[in-house]
Amino acid sequence: ITKFNFSGYHKPDEKTLQGLKDVANKLRILSIKATCASNSGHPTSCCSMAELMSVLFFNTMRYKVEDPRNQCNDRFVLSKGHAAPILYAVWAEAGYLKESDLLNLRKIDSDLEGHPTPKLQFVDMATGSLGQGLGAACGMAYTGKHFDKSSYRVYCMLGDGECAEGSVWEAMAFASHYKLDNLVAVIDVNRLGQSEPTSLQHDMETYRKRCEAFGWNTYVVDGHDVEELCKAFWQAQQVKGKPTCIVAKTLKGKGLKDIEDNLNWHGKAIPKDRAEALLKELEALIQVPNKTLCPELPKDDAAPADLSPILLPSPPAYKKGEKVAPRRAYGVALTRLGQSNQRVVALDGDTKNSTFAETFKKAFPDRYIECFIAEQNMVGVAMGCATRDRTVAFASTFSAFLSRAYDQIRMGAVSQTNVNLVGSHCGVSIGEDGPSQMALEDLAMFRAIPTCTVFYPSDAVSTERAVELSANTKGMCFIRTSRPESEVIYSPDEKFEVGVAKVVRQSDKDHVTVIGAGVTLHEALAAADMLASEGKNIRVIDPFTIKPLDASTILASARATGGRIITVEDHYKEGGLGEAVLSAVGEEPGIVVTRIAVTSVPRSGKPQELMDLYGISAKHIANAVPGLVMNC
Amino acid sequence: MEDYHKPDQQTVQALRNIATRLRINSIKATTAAGSGHPTSCCSVAEIMSVLFFHTMKYRPEDPRNPNNDRFILSKGHAAPVLYAAWAETGYLKESELLNLRKVDSILEGHPVPKQQFVDVATGSLGQGLGAACGMAYTGKYFDKASYRVFCLLGDGEMSEGSVWEAMAFASYYQLDNLVAILDINRLAQSDPAPLQHHVEKYQRRCEAFGWHSIIVDGHSVEELCKVLSQPRHQPLAVIAKTIKGKGIPAAEDKMGWHGKPLPKDMADSVMKEMQSRIVSCNKRIYPAPPNEDASPVSLRNIRMPSAPSYKPGDKIATRKAYGMALAKLGRYNDHVVALDGDTKNSTFSELFKNEHPNRYVECYIAEQNMVSVAIGCAVRDRNVVFASTFATFFSRAYDQLRMAAISESNINLCGSHCGVSIGEDGPSQMGLEDLAMFRAIPTATVFYPSDGVSTEKAVELAANTKGLCFIRTSRPENNVIYNCNEDFHVGQAKVVYKTNDDHVTVIGAGVTLHEALAAAEQLKKERISIRVIDPFTIKPLDSKTIIDNARATRGRIITVEDHYYEGGLGEAVCSAVVNETGFTVQRLAVSQVPRSGKPNELLRIFGIDRDAITQAVRKVLSNSANAK
Repeated sequence: ITKFNFSGYHKPDEKTLQGLKDVANKLRILSIKATCASNSGHPTSCCSMAELMSVLFFNTMRYKVEDPRNQCNDRFVLSKGHAAPILYAVWAEAGYLKESDLLNLRKIDSDLEGHPTPKLQFVDMATGSLGQGLGAACGMAYTGKHFDKSSYRVYCMLGDGECAEGSVWEAMAFASHYKLDNLVAVIDVNRLGQSEPTSLQHDMETYRKRCEAFGWNTYVVDGHDVEELCKAFWQAQQVKGKPTCIVAKTLKGKGLKDIEDNLNWHGKAIPKDRAEALLKELEALIQVPNKTLCPELPKDDAAPADLSPILLPSPPAYKKGEKVAPRRAYGVALTRLGQSNQRVVALDGDTKNSTFAETFKKAFPDRYIECFIAEQNMVGVAMGCATRDRTVAFASTFSAFLSRAYDQIRMGAVSQTNVNLVGSHCGVSIGEDGPSQMALEDLAMFRAIPTCTVFYPSDAVSTERAVELSANTKGMCFIRTSRPESEVIYSPDEKFEVGVAKVVRQSDKDHVTVIGAGVTLHEALAAADMLASEGKNIRVIDPFTIKPLDASTILASARATGGRIITVEDHYKEGGLGEAVLSAVGEEPGIVVTRIAVTSVPRSGKPQELMDLYGISAKHIANAVPGLVMNC
Repeated sequence: MEDYHKPDQQTVQALRNIATRLRINSIKATTAAGSGHPTSCCSVAEIMSVLFFHTMKYRPEDPRNPNNDRFILSKGHAAPVLYAAWAETGYLKESELLNLRKVDSILEGHPVPKQQFVDVATGSLGQGLGAACGMAYTGKYFDKASYRVFCLLGDGEMSEGSVWEAMAFASYYQLDNLVAILDINRLAQSDPAPLQHHVEKYQRRCEAFGWHSIIVDGHSVEELCKVLSQPRHQPLAVIAKTIKGKGIPAAEDKMGWHGKPLPKDMADSVMKEMQSRIVSCNKRIYPAPPNEDASPVSLRNIRMPSAPSYKPGDKIATRKAYGMALAKLGRYNDHVVALDGDTKNSTFSELFKNEHPNRYVECYIAEQNMVSVAIGCAVRDRNVVFASTFATFFSRAYDQLRMAAISESNINLCGSHCGVSIGEDGPSQMGLEDLAMFRAIPTATVFYPSDGVSTEKAVELAANTKGLCFIRTSRPENNVIYNCNEDFHVGQAKVVYKTNDDHVTVIGAGVTLHEALAAAEQLKKERISIRVIDPFTIKPLDSKTIIDNARATRGRIITVEDHYYEGGLGEAVCSAVVNETGFTVQRLAVSQVPRSGKPNELLRIFGIDRDAITQAVRKVLSNSANAK
């Protein structure tokens, strides 16, 4: 039983309703034609949501067709990204794309890819890995409501299959907690997944119960009834203090005879010999073929993004020799950056007193978003906040827990996001908490993200500069911070750049080049002191960014030290600093690299004990120097 | 409720005393360690007491006995109270508790399976219930035994989506042998949990996800005994309203005490006060022994019944060969089970399901939970588990995979649809970081088979290899290149193309091995001979074969992979050969986010097809000619 309050609701006239029905069938036709042309794709997943798309794009949403990325437009996120053809069709119907372009779907030279990507102006977030759209939509809605304070609304279309993803329920909890009444989620309950029916099939009441239990205003509707949809979307706009979920009962392949509601049609183009008859039937349903519906324009109440560089108000205020943990320096840096620029916002997942995002929160409570213990959603929200350059978002948690969001991070690259992620508590040097809390694969993770810049600052000054640089660097940025306190080694006026390493210790006759970062840079310096006391010199390099890595400084140093390099890292041996260095020198003859890293699952213990036990402490570095054996 | 026998007063008092001792030991241990989470232990003291000394049936002297009820501490930071409970049973010495978190004690900061009473490592929140689901599924459907599974969760971790994936799974499969206890102590690490003490909201959510849900006072031993004695027909959620730091007056229900041990003098006075509350009673209670109805299982020597039946030159996709191999392995080994996340018609685990429907678990589109369930199914060596989805969607479960290494899990994972060679579906579906992911798991063996025969061997080897195994399969059909009697071993590469005068060694795997073979044929026409190596496993990598062969080609190596540059085959090879003098490694890989297109078009534009290889070979040769 659907509960409506219709006071103030104007039912669209019959002509408009027929127009919306006609548009829905046109969208079906275009989706089928495009997937037939590409001979792959998901036409049946498009057909179930044709009325939903028609009503959303031609009755409910307000946007400028010719400027899909206008900051004032209502947002639309197609979480069920495999229904891309109907998204392309709706923009063709709106007049932004040429209808003939749709036939280039999935071709190597077309932007109309198999799943939506932001190469298309009307796509903010790449989708196609299920269950990720709603988190991003939450970020956009939070931004609209709390940062932009604008009237644009956010619509997210989900499939029923993806409601099994936990990330969806993280987002559901987030949206109701923050009362995002400018957010509407639509669940296209078409009953069928890829390889079998979904677990809930057409059990609409269970969907309703779950959405309501997670704090959403929920309407169960017939997803093929345009009139009912117009009402439901209108009603959603009137609700205050709660997000609305439209749970739409639909049929997969709706309108396609002998295909509708049948299994084994997921992700299959309609065979050419059947397509013609089916298209004819759909065409026959269209009453006014040439009527065009125009969406309403949005209110102009969101200012264009300020894209000026974001700079620290003054140089870092640390003194050389002072002891500061990089994680603490992160909090200070972000707060200082926040003083310079309103667009800087921070997110954390209930670890803010460990990552020191708390420092920012204390200074700017209105620009901090507590995401609780839901890292997937935190990363999704951060990316949503950063779309259309509305904010410069920094999201932090323990570095190990960013692995929880690796699919979101991977998709962030496809989405061309500029989000900044900060992972604290890297490596065995966190100590007693043990391996579940130690990030030892995070460098491998982030290095394998093509758009990612990986910062690994070793003291407070370089941490502050890393934060400043990442705010201005395109693509994703990752900053790896450490738990232990370490000495400030740079003076406040030291200049830092992405991809430029620092030689922090050198002499005329160095035996070897040692490359360390974070705690291991300080271990390397300690090793240098130990060796110097025996009259042996080593060169020590701080790479600052692991990606891009400063190959030329490393090579030049290596050549000056007989081709000998030692890398030492608080990370597993695979995919981290050591392999980054190997990649940088792999094609150079005459270079020998010794890699020191953690090689097995570690355990609890004191930080220094663990660095010794796993072989990454000063004495191990000293022992690895060729031709030298230290007695310590 | 009629058949509920209320525990007598002596039992109730004994359980209360135990709860108090658990608090004392948790405080004592964390104060000794100088770190840890005593307040998170105090909120669950009565729950632990009732579970371990009234509800659960197990042999305290043999914690990993297959008949025992299982217990998973999903809120792993409450480890000290778990250790205290096992000290209370007599399994651990009480004095050992004072070694908490020390470098030479097995009592680590968070539970790990070095301890016999831990099946899965916890400490990354929200992962316990999925593993518990796997154990409960195994108990009910595979073992058909009477043991039950109890999982204790914190309220903070209820924000993790993985918990709700598990909730949906448990009710869908009617796991009436599963009990989740939610410790609603209101306070998380840095803030109150979002639902604070709104226990009715938790109840509504659990009920909506199909669980029988009961709210109790988590500090009432009587209420806990009663609710945990109920017979049931669906999974049970006990929503226990508790006070964080219960029993520590200065910390009770207060912020700022998460993860902080009590200072020594405060601890002393609190423990003294607690001690005074222990009312002496004569009754000593012991856990009830379990029913002996879980039969022993041997997972040794899981062998294929016969050699592969492919012919060289046959065309088959390795993803399909995976399904065929697994179905075949299942034919003669009753403990081989398969899981998939609604991609079984793409990964071909469907072939296993068709043949062995009772040993297939559909996990729907919830990869985190699928991996956790797989881990749960594999504990105590009850099953040989294979879980599959698109390789790239394992990134969704990377935290679970990371924890699987700490859990010493033996699960096997198969990721299909790797690389740009899947074609039109585009980058969201392409696994291009999966090798980097799995190589960075210390206990993982990474198989990357290139034809039907080697895929079948990889499946058989994975079933018998300890630690986590990952098998990377490809979507396109390729030639079978090995004879059916070819022998395969972990860490042993194959030289698949060779002459006496090779100039360059090319290493490829999956589709790129076939591109390398095509390049070799092409170059042969130009009278350039190259050597081609199939590494078979990327981790461990066969350094010896690679080095020996590359030396025969004057140290010249080209790697080519359908993966990003970082962390994959190329870097694995660099690691293997770095200290060989005179070696150079030229790497071909995908260098940017790819796009939609036909497989061959994509291999070409991302520079990993036969033409890119021939070009790279020519370049390497002209460079070295110039160098002379």
